[in-house]
Amino acid sequence: MLEGLVSQESLSLNSMDMSVLERLKWVQQQQQQLQQVVYQSSNNSHELLQILQFHGSNNDDLLQSSFSPFQMLGSGFGPNYNIGFGPPHEAMDECISRTSSCHMEPVDTIEVLLKTGEENRAIALKNKRNPEVKTRGEEKTEKKIKVEAETESSMKGKSNMRNTEASSDTSKETSKKASEIQKLDYIHVRARRGQATDRHSLAERARREKISKKMKYLQDIVPGCNKVTGKAGMLDEIINYVQCLQRQVEFLSMKLAVLNPELELAVEDVSVKQAYFTNVVASKQSIMVDVPLFPLDQQGSLDLSAINPNQTTSIEAPSASWETQSQSLYNTSSLGFQY
Amino acid sequence: MQPTSSMNEEFLKKWQMGLQIFHPSIDNTSVHERKKAIKLSADVAMASLRKGTTCWSRALIEKTATEDNFLVRQMLSGIKAEALINKKLPKRTVCHRKIVRRSKKILRRKSKSASEEAAAKAKRLVKRRTQGLRNVVPGGELMSNDVLLLQETLDYIVSLQTQVNVMRSIVDAAEAEIER
Repeated sequence: MLEGLVSQESLSLNSMDMSVLERLKWVQQQQQQLQQVVYQSSNNSHELLQILQFHGSNNDDLLQSSFSPFQMLGSGFGPNYNIGFGPPHEAMDECISRTSSCHMEPVDTIEVLLKTGEENRAIALKNKRNPEVKTRGEEKTEKKIKVEAETESSMKGKSNMRNTEASSDTSKETSKKASEIQKLDYIHVRARRGQATDRHSLAERARREKISKKMKYLQDIVPGCNKVTGKAGMLDEIINYVQCLQRQVEFLSMKLAVLNPELELAVEDVSVKQAYFTNVVASKQSIMVDVPLFPLDQQGSLDLSAINPNQTTSIEAPSASWETQSQSLYNTSSLGFQY
Repeated sequence: MQPTSSMNEEFLKKWQMGLQIFHPSIDNTSVHERKKAIKLSADVAMASLRKGTTCWSRALIEKTATEDNFLVRQMLSGIKAEALINKKLPKRTVCHRKIVRRSKKILRRKSKSASEEAAAKAKRLVKRRTQGLRNVVPGGELMSNDVLLLQETLDYIVSLQTQVNVMRSIVDAAEAEIER
């Protein structure tokens, strides 16, 4: 995803990269100086324009260097920074020749990313700037023209107003804009495209990313989850898997009760058992192995009436593709049986 | 995260200890009783592996305790984990379905655009599934937020896998023994 975005936006990323890099460094080191820089640049919008237009070279290097701070932001961040980094590029594309109002945008995204990783910093940053909602295409260009034409002080007031009028994405995002008036005397900051940066949505986003991270872990551990995408499907698979495992436990305990009237777990040779522990896979495939195995048992008093419901229920769940796999597993397990 | 061999060993030990408590009373019991004993001891062993850190383990022990309090206590004392039975669980949230349904209907009347409907439908599906997951995982109803639920599910799955692994190897060994 990141590479795609990079290829798209690399052409248009010229002027913003340097500012991203600069801003990133500022953010990480001195937050107060950041304020000052912004303040100064807002006063000298012409200078900033020049600076922005000046840097047109070496997109890749800048991109690389700008990635590294993101990587530094935390190990548990891996997929997250991709998610977070994508939209800023789109946004930056939009505001290529913009005025100083754009330059805060990457910092805002940093703020958002920081929020997901280190919430303390983000809250501190947020308090110092005025995040506002970003609107769609025409409104942006409209704003750009008007923004360039006006002075800073009036810009703040008017653009605030315009934002409140124009942005009507979702009710949540438009909720707190008017109230977030800036303390410092510079231009509004745009949030990530189409998203607000007020606390609730940020917290929600952080929560959502936590959930997606947990779902990824679950995807690794539940077999067959890779093919299904989306929360509902994966949850379905997970539920099925847990139910399968529970049924398997019942089944095995019944079997053990039958086989072992003294209720003694014969563990004479622990080392031999170790071999089984590592190889026996508790997967859906092996459930099918148990089911054909049971009717072949001719030992003792089999309480078949109790077993049959177990059998039938565990047969319905798995799909047809398991049949072939289970057959092969069955053969290998019976062959590799050493005692 | 796969079940490690050390987890398997621990589970086996605890399970054995639990089963030994049953030993004196199993002479004339039926298959069902024995199965129940086996499963109970296995569940208690599995839950005690976590030493009360996870919600599902506490809920599971509580559930087994309601079935057979005395035996569970004995087992836990055998495994030297008496504290587990006294651990407190978060309160169960009672949800009056009628009221919830009515309020949802009212909310639904408002938004009727196509994309919103699709999103709402997807959300409903996900909610239904999470509710299903809560039913399956022990103590699921007690977990208020989804993040916790998923975490507990992950842990529960790993523990179930160890349980199944150990039980299956024991069964296989027992079968081999009998076949001899």
